[in-house]
Amino acid sequence: MSIKERGYTHWDGKLKESRFPWWPISRLGIRLTFKKKFFKFFFFLSLSPALAYLVGIYVSERMEEFRFMVQESVSFLQINPNYFKSYLTGDFLYFMIILILVFAASGLISDDLRHNSLQLYFSRPLKKRDYFMGKSSVIVFFLFILTMIPSLVLFLMKLIFSGSFKFFSTYPWLPLSIIGYSLLLTVFFSFYALFLSSLSPNRRYVAVLILGFYFFSDILFGIFKGIFHSHYFSLLSIKSNLQQVGALFFQQKTPYEISWVFSLLVLLGVCVLSALVLRKKVQGVRIIK
Amino acid sequence: MIHIKKGQISFYWKSVKDVFSFSFSLGKRTKRTRVFYLLSFLPVVMALVIKFAQYFYGRTDIQGIYIFSNIIMMFYLQFLILLLALFFGSSVCLDELEGKTLTYLTTRPVPKPAIILGKYAAYSVLIVLMTGAGVVFSFLILNCENLGDVSLYKILLRDISVLCLGLISYASFFTFLGTFLKKSVMVGLIFGFGWENVVQYFPGSTQKFTIAHYLKSLLPSLNTGRFSFLLFRLEPTSPQAAVGMLFLITGFFLVLACVIFSFKEYLFED
Amino acid sequence: MNPVIETKNLSKWYGNVLGLSDVFLQISSGITGLLGPNGAGKSTLLSLITGQIKPSIGSVSLLGERIRNNYPLLARIGYCPERDSFYEEMTGWQYLTGLLKLGHFSSSQIESLAEKALDIVELVEDKHRVIRSYSQGMRQRLKFAQAIAHNPEVLILDEPLNGLDPLGKRKLISLIKSYRQKEKTVLVSSHVLPEIEALTQQIILIHQGKIFAQGDIHYIRDLLETHPHKISIRCSHPRKMASEFIHKPYVLKVSFGTSQDSLIVETNNRDGLFSIIPSLSVKNNIQIDEITSPDDNLQAVFDYLVGK
Repeated sequence: MSIKERGYTHWDGKLKESRFPWWPISRLGIRLTFKKKFFKFFFFLSLSPALAYLVGIYVSERMEEFRFMVQESVSFLQINPNYFKSYLTGDFLYFMIILILVFAASGLISDDLRHNSLQLYFSRPLKKRDYFMGKSSVIVFFLFILTMIPSLVLFLMKLIFSGSFKFFSTYPWLPLSIIGYSLLLTVFFSFYALFLSSLSPNRRYVAVLILGFYFFSDILFGIFKGIFHSHYFSLLSIKSNLQQVGALFFQQKTPYEISWVFSLLVLLGVCVLSALVLRKKVQGVRIIK
Repeated sequence: MIHIKKGQISFYWKSVKDVFSFSFSLGKRTKRTRVFYLLSFLPVVMALVIKFAQYFYGRTDIQGIYIFSNIIMMFYLQFLILLLALFFGSSVCLDELEGKTLTYLTTRPVPKPAIILGKYAAYSVLIVLMTGAGVVFSFLILNCENLGDVSLYKILLRDISVLCLGLISYASFFTFLGTFLKKSVMVGLIFGFGWENVVQYFPGSTQKFTIAHYLKSLLPSLNTGRFSFLLFRLEPTSPQAAVGMLFLITGFFLVLACVIFSFKEYLFED
Repeated sequence: MNPVIETKNLSKWYGNVLGLSDVFLQISSGITGLLGPNGAGKSTLLSLITGQIKPSIGSVSLLGERIRNNYPLLARIGYCPERDSFYEEMTGWQYLTGLLKLGHFSSSQIESLAEKALDIVELVEDKHRVIRSYSQGMRQRLKFAQAIAHNPEVLILDEPLNGLDPLGKRKLISLIKSYRQKEKTVLVSSHVLPEIEALTQQIILIHQGKIFAQGDIHYIRDLLETHPHKISIRCSHPRKMASEFIHKPYVLKVSFGTSQDSLIVETNNRDGLFSIIPSLSVKNNIQIDEITSPDDNLQAVFDYLVGK
């Protein structure tokens, strides 16, 4: 047999394009995150505020029975959009989101950079867009479980506990606000975490950056606000910006005396910057200088 | 080559020195060290902005040393030294494990504790330099009108000493975590940004189970405005006892790290 | 002569997984090849020998001393790990001099030793380039350089030929072979049979954590009495020769080769067969052109031992 005849077998079939080529990446990411030590513990711990808020809704419906316990917290137990806002913009929830990102997102791109596996992804029928979709949907999955799902469940439980649709008829826009703000949180944190994950092949370093940037921005705000007493410095803080925009979604007064538009612009700016960096950093071929 | 005799103190010392110089030269050229250098210079930028804004707003009533103390308390003590110590401390062992380069060190004629001590010393010097440079520059900028005031330099010296103590004690704890746990960064983050802050709200002597307590005991209490909760319920330990305790913590966790590193079997993930 | 490396009853478990089982070895100076397929336990054995991990049962001694946590002894050992891992941000020169520093040499010694090692592995021109820009072959050579730089008495090489091109392999093989003349002890592992064959006749066969055989390749071959040897004979009258062989009790099978002038004899007594060939040749006036043993190589021995 001549060498010429020993060619590769050619496949004559037609490549069927998958509608969701990013799904295997997401599935793997979610599965690997759940395999991490302590993750399940922290993940369920992060749902504890939701549980506390659920108890709050229950108590608010049985106020007469619990009045002896909640003498000073009656105002807190008034279930209105502010109640949902305070759940979704709470410091503890943000802190847990950051911890979940440290677990679930720090290695999303950095591990691929470390193991040089980007070229493996892009040697398959996978576009950059699919790659980012796959990676970000891991974050979306976890953050939805932390934000949108508990908030909607709380809303539903309020209706069930009260036994009427009065709450819904009073605030028909509230479910949309919950969905909208949860989406904003998820999109912002997806960009934020993926951007930082693309900066280094060292996952530990990325973990420190994810937490570091978040706290640093808040500390910066604290220092400047302490000195100059200007609310404009809240634009330096990730947390404050999210809280400002949160107030808009739930039709509440913004916590700082500046327009929410600035905060929204800052958050959008971070997302755009992250997208630009991600485009540059995630390449099929890496040139080593 | 020098004659190697097991158990010789001078040889131990030489081994530590050799590992130190190897790790220091390795540590200073990594990209992430440069990033952390930049991060530690952020207070300098902050100081410049504050100074500029002070003139711009005409807020010259706030003393430079007051702003400096706020930066020390909020940025350095609560944030930067924790972050630096966590990353570099846990890197002492984990860098070698993750990079699979541990074999190069453990097949050299150096005692295993010397590897930990040498690397810990090298990284401690790196983070002390990073922190120190930022502190000194921001001090000079914020107090540029009063540079002739000797008492201010005493404050600078005290603050730098406290930060150094914080760095070495936190780094020793995180070095221990790095030799002991694979997920030491996660545990470290929860310790640093969770436990160290939350415990201050606990009653009784619970706050004495934090490193931050002893560091804060060495600094005068001041009104930190929005961040006044950082000093909430602080029942300071005497300065001598606090310094002693910080050295004790450093020594204890370093010994523990050395013992674990000597006897634990590290397997690489393939 | 005292063995340089000695293991007794050496076993290693990783949890429930058996890494190495009941290994007794005595390795003297010279080159010894450790041969086995991937996952056979070669790296585990070498890690135990260099004191990287501790045995679950049994003991290892090197140059007559216990190895684990015996750091002065490590000055006499050079170890080339299998993993392609480096301090990527260092240059080749910084890497090598840095590691030599850990051997407690003076600055001038470090420079001359590093220069010499780089010269041996032909990396002098690239010594100031960062390691992450090195090719696979250069990385492999640099790894080898750090193992030999301090002139150790014992060299432990874990798959040193991985990733090298044929020319690079040949150069490294001749370099490793030169250590035999220097009366050093070299233990080199590989899963590639021709590599080991090219390096040494002294082999240790390992499979599934167990040592199957140790010794000279011919000696091992002879140990396998139940396993027939194949002898190929090229002669002027192969059929006549075959008819003579067929009656001998230790000849198990006779067949004819692909060429018309050859026959293949399978026997369980190779020496017996060789001793009668001259007399048969003279008696039947058969001209013998060539006698070869086609399965007297590692592949045959290995295949047989692992039961293929």
